[in-house]
Amino acid sequence: MPHRLEITLKPDLFDAEGQGIRQKASSYFDILIDSIRTVHIITIDAELSDLQRNTVQSEIFTNPVTQESSYDPLPIAFDWCIWVGYRPGVKDNPGSTAVEAIEDVLGIRFKKDEDVYTSRRFCLNGAGLTRSEVELIAGELLSNDIIQQVKIFSRKEWDVKKGIGYNIAKVKLDHTPTVSTIPMDSDEALKTVSHERNLALNDNDVPVIRAYFQDPAVFARRKKMGLSDPTDVELEYISQARSDHCNHNTFGGIFTYTDFETGETQTINSLFKTYIETPTLELKKKKDWVISVLWDNAGVGRFDKDNYYVITGETHNSPSNMEAYGGAITGIVGVYRDPMGTGLGSKLIMGSYGFCVGDRDYKGALKPKLHPRRLLDGVIEGVRDGGNKSGIPTGFGQVTFHPGYMGKCLVFVTALGLMPAKVSGKPSETKTTSPGELIVMCGGRVGKDGIHGVTASSETFSAHTPAGHVQIGDPYTQKKMHDFLLEARDAGLIPFITDNGGGGLSSSVGESALLSNGCEVYLEKVPLKYDGLDQWEIWISESQERMTVAVRPEDIDRFMALSKKHAVESTVIGKYTDSGKLQISYNDVICAYVDMDLLKSGFPKWEFDAEWRPADQRGLYEPILAEPVDYNALLLDMISRPNICSREWITRQYDHEVQGTSVIKPLVGRDRDVYSDATVIRPVLESTRGIVFTQALLPMYSTIDAYHMTTCTIDEAVRRMVAVGGNPDHIGGVDNFCWPDIAYDEKKNPDGKFKAAQLVRSCKALSHMCLTYGIPLLSGKDSMYVDGHLPGRYGESHKVSALETMQFSCIGVIDDIEKCVTMDVKSPGDLVYVLGETKNELGGSEYYDLFGYIGINVPRVDPGKFIPIYHALYQAIEKGLAASAHGVYRGGLGIHLAMMAMAGNLGLDIDLAKVPADGVLRNDTFLFSESAGRFIVTIAPKCQAAFEKLCEKIPCACIGTVRQTPVFDISDGNKNLISLDVAELKAAWKRPFGDLI
Amino acid sequence: MTTSKIKALVLTGYGLNCDIETAHALKLAGADPVRVHINSIIDGSVCLEDFQIMVFVGGFSWGDDHGAGVIQAVRMKHNIGDRLARFIEDGNLVLGICNGFQTIVNLGLLPGFDNNYQHRSVALTYNDCGNFRDDWVTLAINPDSPCVFTKGLTAMELPIRHGEGKFVAAEAIINRLNDDHQAVCQYALPDGTPADNAFPFNPNGSMADIAGICDPTGRVFGLMPHPEAFNHPTNHPHWTFLQEQIKRGVISADALPITGIRMFENAVDFLS
Repeated sequence: MPHRLEITLKPDLFDAEGQGIRQKASSYFDILIDSIRTVHIITIDAELSDLQRNTVQSEIFTNPVTQESSYDPLPIAFDWCIWVGYRPGVKDNPGSTAVEAIEDVLGIRFKKDEDVYTSRRFCLNGAGLTRSEVELIAGELLSNDIIQQVKIFSRKEWDVKKGIGYNIAKVKLDHTPTVSTIPMDSDEALKTVSHERNLALNDNDVPVIRAYFQDPAVFARRKKMGLSDPTDVELEYISQARSDHCNHNTFGGIFTYTDFETGETQTINSLFKTYIETPTLELKKKKDWVISVLWDNAGVGRFDKDNYYVITGETHNSPSNMEAYGGAITGIVGVYRDPMGTGLGSKLIMGSYGFCVGDRDYKGALKPKLHPRRLLDGVIEGVRDGGNKSGIPTGFGQVTFHPGYMGKCLVFVTALGLMPAKVSGKPSETKTTSPGELIVMCGGRVGKDGIHGVTASSETFSAHTPAGHVQIGDPYTQKKMHDFLLEARDAGLIPFITDNGGGGLSSSVGESALLSNGCEVYLEKVPLKYDGLDQWEIWISESQERMTVAVRPEDIDRFMALSKKHAVESTVIGKYTDSGKLQISYNDVICAYVDMDLLKSGFPKWEFDAEWRPADQRGLYEPILAEPVDYNALLLDMISRPNICSREWITRQYDHEVQGTSVIKPLVGRDRDVYSDATVIRPVLESTRGIVFTQALLPMYSTIDAYHMTTCTIDEAVRRMVAVGGNPDHIGGVDNFCWPDIAYDEKKNPDGKFKAAQLVRSCKALSHMCLTYGIPLLSGKDSMYVDGHLPGRYGESHKVSALETMQFSCIGVIDDIEKCVTMDVKSPGDLVYVLGETKNELGGSEYYDLFGYIGINVPRVDPGKFIPIYHALYQAIEKGLAASAHGVYRGGLGIHLAMMAMAGNLGLDIDLAKVPADGVLRNDTFLFSESAGRFIVTIAPKCQAAFEKLCEKIPCACIGTVRQTPVFDISDGNKNLISLDVAELKAAWKRPFGDLI
Repeated sequence: MTTSKIKALVLTGYGLNCDIETAHALKLAGADPVRVHINSIIDGSVCLEDFQIMVFVGGFSWGDDHGAGVIQAVRMKHNIGDRLARFIEDGNLVLGICNGFQTIVNLGLLPGFDNNYQHRSVALTYNDCGNFRDDWVTLAINPDSPCVFTKGLTAMELPIRHGEGKFVAAEAIINRLNDDHQAVCQYALPDGTPADNAFPFNPNGSMADIAGICDPTGRVFGLMPHPEAFNHPTNHPHWTFLQEQIKRGVISADALPITGIRMFENAVDFLS
């Protein structure tokens, strides 16, 4: 008989959780609830004596000061009660820690089938509440049917004795693990199986796979091992490895690119090799701080002579789109494993997020799986719990709203690590597996979760996408593993480490065995969450929080002892060999036996047609827009637009100071509430060297040309870095492409060739920018298929594709953090300078978007002109001449002057006529053009001569002064255009999301 | 200097995460810190008796899934409860920061009325704002408090980072904490006057604005803000502004805010 303990706050205490739900019900759905009380339920499915269950109740689960609890349903009055619990197989993190605590306190061990399940019920009071309103709250605020189950009780339906009943979300598979053999009589037959089993094999790969298994020599060797046609384990292995997610078929594909502007056609064999690998290798030769790039889980650069930094960026779009919280927490916790699995392993020192979603207040007819507002709430909370509970500062982040992300949202997650340059006297950035070493799996156990996640993220989201690939990351388990692995690394016990991400063991073991040239894996040894998994499922499951480590046999006892100390489960599941074969068995029966080099050759490349038509040929033009008159109202409206306004409520939920390293925080200024250009940390506490990190994302320009979207994005990221004191000679880059489907299909994707051309152009721009700015790409990822089919009002559905999007991250090293500057203006009387030219470049701007225009004059990047500006500013900051510095980004000069005034709580007196410009004739262009390459800098008057000397050869002018009276004044030299209290500006800037906490 | 003989134990493991910066802060203060896994104390491979300071650090022990610090406290009480009691009895120092404060409150080490170090009479529960929050706060420090760690301090600015920091207790307990000066530090407005529960100055709705309390001896101290995260002048959110003020002669260089290291220095001084 299970024991169901209900716990709630004492009635006189404020129920913040209930209050939060009340507020959302009111503001999202206009549903008024008088009060909500939350009850936490712990269902212990184990044999306990009365004494034991009382001990558990009082010692663990009830705080005598704040809580009351009962094994009978708590007698809380309600009009409606909503119970929410997990579905079977969904990771119940609190359930696992409850087991740990109960075992410890009672000195018992749970039996195999015993477990603890957590759930909650919400007691709602509100006389007028209807069942359909309660269902809406349950479905839209409290649960997601993919991972949770719900029961709703009216007061009448409630049985005071039975309560919610006993809900045991136990997985019962009653299945004997079976290896199936896949007949492959014809290509068609194999394609059919691929489709039925959701293998997502590419049609063009099918003949290659068949040819391999039908090769007489292969057949004979396999026969000796008791195999004939391929097994499901083998085909799943091939499918995982060949997926776009793992193999990057799109970026490795052959593009036939036709430019209708020049009439030329070009064939590009691999975007990756041509535009990413080649420039990066060239730059690696010139920049001795580039330590390791292009092969490991993350890139490595030099921090100081004793330490390297490690960086990578990922996305977790498809899972977040279906289950926002689970997808996002799995994303951030997952990306943190990449630095852990880079070189011999690094300590995590910082993370960042980027969310792209539809309009938060969307009221249209399309029905995405999750409304953008709910989706955003979920991804914010997922990254919050994943980052905070990992003990890693979430130091930077951004949010972009655009209707294109209704089809599929984007969730970017980036991870920074630090590792010693030498481990046990050997270089930390190299690693290999050797024959005889044991394959050890550390961390979580394996369940059905995440199966076919890799292949699903390589497809457009549809109603048939299996929900099984949604998971809930467990930062607690991973944090324990992180601490353990660092200690094992420093003890010299780890010759090789990698993470289990997409593809699970199939990828981590399959790829690491390439180094030793073979492996034997014993699948029955893999610890499972529950019985009944087929062998192929164990092999490819993406259950989280796992690392694969090679351990020398002579070290295994020490390794296991450390693992035990840290309460981390580690299991030897096989050994590396040099047999040239991937050999997998289950209880001594071979279920896979293929050549290690099977994946290396013979598979056809993907091919794409790409056709570029420039913006004018696509009918874009500059709008006919006469100059506005009421600039005060215009600026207030601009500054409160969703993509400009404050999102402090998000930033404050993220711990950005853990580890005690914070130097420049995400929010700066006198009231600590305006966004910094970049974040700086001091990762080695004994040192005053710093790491500067920042990101940019400007997808709106893709509507005109993804080439300029890319150049402007990279330029912005670089300027963000330079603005706080980053050195333009040490910039590491991370590119994260998120693109809609580029494979042309007359019916399904009629503009595929254009999107493919946009991708080619973006890659060309990336390469050009990296070479001219000197940015090696330390890491990067691509996520394709950012499309969705959304139901409409009449039962029809609409394909919604995202804008072609690239997030660019920059990392650098600061020699002396005490020279860093922030963007808040510091002192009345300081002089305000603009560096860089303003041009008539309103195409794709926030200003045009205010009126629903796109335009065509997209901002252009001119590296030859811009780079001297960046060096001049760097010099000025190095010499201590700049009191504040800030780049001019989205929204233009008007917006970013306002940001600096708001941050400093001081006034500005600005003359637009003095702004360095080229071809600008109107004040709205001066104020809102988004020309790249610009900064605003303030300096103390005594520094004027020295500063101007540094800026002699670049476009630079003093355009006004900082003043004590907090009024923001802008004139055009003749007449005043804008005069606003800084407090009024700030109120407008905070208005859209100011009520959120 | 004899201070290096003062050994400080910094707990690690099971989801704790402020151990490295806490050890760094102790080192800056002149102590000799050792990071020790919770299991290494439980299994006896590290002896509490070798230390004079024990720090329960911040983090998410056991994921904080069943109330912050709850399971850590249960685990400690069941395995080393008597050794902890002896450690305090012997005149040593215990500091609990954030998750550590939550833990020692759940252990009953605080408030430690009448020499009872097992009774839970105060709690830290969910923030009134309903969410985890990272921000800097101003603390008013009670100069009459017996607290060893805050000696000579009247105010300090520190970061808070928590979802469950609302200090809760019965009225009589709160009164006693105030009367006996065990309410060491309270959330305040930037000018140092009481926050009087005004958000975000009191960031979590703590009763009587209480941010930290000590036991009657002043040797056991717990607080929600993170002194170890203010271990360098550049941790302060206004350091770039202050630096400009110094450059312009508006303030002098020694007028910079006192860092959180002072609390650790006080501990070392007490033991020296």
